[in-house]
Amino acid sequence: MTTAVTIPRHGGTGGRTAVAARARQVVKAYGSGETRVVALDHVDVDIARGQFTAIMGPSGSGKSTLMHCLAGLDTVTSGEIFLDETEITKLKDKKLTQLRRDRIGFIFQAFNLLPTLNALENITLPMDIAGRKPDADWLRQVVETVGLAERLKHRPTQLSGGQQQRVAVARALAARPEIIFGDEPTGNLDSRAGAEVLSFLRRSVDELGQTIVMVTHDPVAASYADRVLYLADGSIVDEMYNPTADQVLDRMKHFDARGRTS
Amino acid sequence: MTVWKTSMRNFFAHKGRMALSAVAVLLSVAFVCGTLVFTDTMNTTFDKLFAVSSPDVTVSPKGAEENDEQPDNGKPASLPASLVQQVEKAEGVKKAEGAAFSMAVTVVNSENKNMGSETGAPTIASNWTDNDLRSMEITSGHAPRGPTEVMVDGDTAKKHKLKIGDELRTIAVTGDIRAKISGIASFTVTNPGAAVVYLDTATAQKHLLGAPDVFTQVLVTAESGVSDTQLKKNVAAALDGSAAYRLQTQQEAADANKDSMGAFLDVMKYAMLGFAGIAFLVGIFLIVNTFSMLVAQRTREIGLMRAIGSSRKQVNRSVLLEAVLLGIVGSVLGVAAGIGLAVGLMKLMGAVGMELSTRDLTVAWTTPVIGLVLGVVVTVLAAYIPARRAGKVSPMAALRDAGTPADAKSGWVRAGIGLVLTGAGGAALWATTQADKATEGSGFLAVGVLLTLIGFIVIGPLLAGVVVRALSVVVLRLFGPVGRLAERNALRNPRRTGATGAALMIGLALVACLSVVGSSMVASATEELDKSVGADFIVQDSGAGRPIVPQAAEALHAVPGLEHLTDYTYIKAKITAPDGRTVDEGITATDPTYQQDVRRTALSGDLAKAYDKNAMSVGEDYAEKHGVKVGDTLSIAFKTGESAKLKVAAITSDDTNIDRGAMYTNLTTATAYIAADKMPQNVAMFGKAEEGKEKEAYAALKSALAEYPVYKVQNQADFKEDLKDQIGQLLNIVYGLLALAIIVAVLGVVNTLALSVVERTREIGLMRAIGLSRRQLRRMIRLESVVIALFGALLGLGLGMGWGTAAQKLLALEGLEVLEIPWPTILTVFACSALVGLFAALVPAFRAGRMNVLNAIATDG
Repeated sequence: MTTAVTIPRHGGTGGRTAVAARARQVVKAYGSGETRVVALDHVDVDIARGQFTAIMGPSGSGKSTLMHCLAGLDTVTSGEIFLDETEITKLKDKKLTQLRRDRIGFIFQAFNLLPTLNALENITLPMDIAGRKPDADWLRQVVETVGLAERLKHRPTQLSGGQQQRVAVARALAARPEIIFGDEPTGNLDSRAGAEVLSFLRRSVDELGQTIVMVTHDPVAASYADRVLYLADGSIVDEMYNPTADQVLDRMKHFDARGRTS
Repeated sequence: MTVWKTSMRNFFAHKGRMALSAVAVLLSVAFVCGTLVFTDTMNTTFDKLFAVSSPDVTVSPKGAEENDEQPDNGKPASLPASLVQQVEKAEGVKKAEGAAFSMAVTVVNSENKNMGSETGAPTIASNWTDNDLRSMEITSGHAPRGPTEVMVDGDTAKKHKLKIGDELRTIAVTGDIRAKISGIASFTVTNPGAAVVYLDTATAQKHLLGAPDVFTQVLVTAESGVSDTQLKKNVAAALDGSAAYRLQTQQEAADANKDSMGAFLDVMKYAMLGFAGIAFLVGIFLIVNTFSMLVAQRTREIGLMRAIGSSRKQVNRSVLLEAVLLGIVGSVLGVAAGIGLAVGLMKLMGAVGMELSTRDLTVAWTTPVIGLVLGVVVTVLAAYIPARRAGKVSPMAALRDAGTPADAKSGWVRAGIGLVLTGAGGAALWATTQADKATEGSGFLAVGVLLTLIGFIVIGPLLAGVVVRALSVVVLRLFGPVGRLAERNALRNPRRTGATGAALMIGLALVACLSVVGSSMVASATEELDKSVGADFIVQDSGAGRPIVPQAAEALHAVPGLEHLTDYTYIKAKITAPDGRTVDEGITATDPTYQQDVRRTALSGDLAKAYDKNAMSVGEDYAEKHGVKVGDTLSIAFKTGESAKLKVAAITSDDTNIDRGAMYTNLTTATAYIAADKMPQNVAMFGKAEEGKEKEAYAALKSALAEYPVYKVQNQADFKEDLKDQIGQLLNIVYGLLALAIIVAVLGVVNTLALSVVERTREIGLMRAIGLSRRQLRRMIRLESVVIALFGALLGLGLGMGWGTAAQKLLALEGLEVLEIPWPTILTVFACSALVGLFAALVPAFRAGRMNVLNAIATDG
């Protein structure tokens, strides 16, 4: 074990590949024949390690489906998805569950926490399930980073929405996953609480070398990312590096207009 | 009408969630209806039998009360044969026949196997009369035509594969009648199990009644156009001194028979309805839980209804309407299932020798009505509290973020009430143990049982917190984080866990209580036997309590290797004490060797002297009540007609269970007064083997009884074993009936888990997403189930042992002096409840495991 300050196993500077996850020709279709709906249409994407990637797109563009497939929550119709060197599209449920447990972190839009567990127990839950002991130093650092040291014994119902999401972020960070996936993690928060959570995510990328993929429809949220991917009708139609909220908003308007005229 | 519509929609939308509640209603209603149909059918069967088989008018001797126990000397009271001619002369008599019959017989085949019923139905030997043609017809062969011929009923012939030419031995009090089957007569109505053999009239008179010129009854048939009541008057007139005889019309005879049967059937009916009541009680918990959970899950929906203008009453009513629908569905199915259950019971009875025909299946119009009303009323009552809670949902609930309701706090009020009730109940139970009169003690016991039960139900949710935590320290912690999650889940809604556990508690408390009482009975009896019984062997009837016929007693007396064999009989008598008061009592007439067989303590006098000529002993209670002292003389009027004056030589202690209160006299004293043919037969016999010859003597006694299969000889070890088996069997029947309540309780656990899984869909999705494996998820649900089951079991067994102990202390007044807690049984039940928990979780766990992760997370609510 190395010190807790750098990402030991899969930091951007580590010996791993620079790509944390990649999708190749991924198709996700529902139904068949006349009623066939294609949610993802031959998508190719690389998620860079140690970067904060945002996925944007209008409703029904397939952005959530893409994230779910990358995270091993959903199966694909065809194509391959790799997490590091592991082809997850070939894994059975049992292995997939283990993979989610040990190598992936999640932050959902709402209902991220188990109401029966207190904040600390929620944070260590993935490791508890795996039967691993959390690294005490790392845990302390994560807890301090998200500013929850005072509230570890609180139950979720005793926390504000922003605090709950910060617990969810801490949980995702605590297990030191290769990638954290966020499904509109700030969708239910007001702008101040949202900004708080997003800056924690940003800091975890900058300071801890964490890889994060986040689905969002909020240009401000996307502006925290290193790279923004635009999805429309199941395909990646554009991308942008080091975006600002205004740039993102402009680009979105452009797509929306195009979507309306086409 | 909108209320009606929403109720219907909700009911059908959640029919899966209602299913188990419906099953609970179904089971309870089915048990009630099944019991009613079954007992009604039995009534019909007996009514038909009695109505058909009675003659127009029956003349019987006055003393022989209908359905009296068998005569002590094995010979039924009789009428002179000449009475038949006398009756025949009466106006309107078409035919008068003498019937000679006895129920104090045993019929065995050539292999010495008992042909009679083992279930308490009588074995009857009779002469064949035209009256028998009312209910029977000769289906093969012919009626007996001499002492070597016998006719047997068709059911018995079929059961034991008897055919014409086979030899049957009828063991009557005057000796054995060996005869070959000459014919088979079959019942034209359902015969519920009596075995009947027909002898020719002379043989029947001689052997069954002991004299050639007597009959048991005169059976009179009316000429056409003469009513039974008219005929009865005419016959009475012809007999002018009819005071000595009893006359009954067909209706009266049938009614008299029915009454005695009806009493037995009523006991059975109410006992079974009692168990159905327990099942209903348990079902209430299940229904309350279901509706509470449905209302909780629908909070937002209900809030919306309120927001758009539904009144409290409408919301309330819509939930109650759902309960009515549930009650109707459950009850209708239950009534149908009940009829099926009754048919099943009839088949079961058939298997143990009580024949009932589905031809007689009786479904009174009241049965479905009772079933429906009961089912609906109970369901609606159970749904009332959840419905009220639904009515109280504020319109704001529609706006609030839904999600699982937070931990329901169980209030201090509840705790207070529960503790007061439990405390009062506990005090009553303690008072039970201190009572020195059985009557006041049983009052305390009833109050104590009721209050502690209600108290436990009320504080159930609080106890759930404590017990689940304790259990989880012992059990769940072994399973690490999954165990902890299960613990939290079981604790998150203590009211729900409490109610689910309480349902299981009720059944198991009864099981524990009865098993404590049962094993205390065995232990007490065993101790008493060890203390006071010196006899090596005991001979008695194996079931119906029939006396031992003299030829069997003789065969036993011929057995070698015995130091002594004691005859023991009981003579009914009216006894007048010096204080002038007369009581109906009985004298135990036995040999002096009985003093070694059963050791009794004499409080005053010398028990050995009681066996002197014209001497006797009395019990302590009797002596005290009547101021009798040693040396006093009692006037005895034997039921057989003779009277005697016997001197009290000893007063025995009544601190015993064997022969409590018995008055002993020497058999020779009794026979000095009572003629040999009137002397009652032995009730039991006690033997002691010569030193070192126990084994041989036991074997010899057994082989001596081979010809008389209805009697059994037992040594002390076998006797104890038998006693244990008998009590065990009785307990098993009761456990079997309680199984219904326990099944309903288990359904309750399944129900709670299934609804919890639905309620926690999002949580489950989340846990699966962050890496909980299917196996871990299923284990979590199973552990929760096990903990709920163990919680119920712990409460139930604890409560039941408390009740059982109090009951034993009370029964100690009646001689149940040893308290024995049957730990193996208790621990087995406890362990089995864990298994039951696992079983209950099977389906909910499977369904949780099958949930699609993404859908689960996306679930609204």
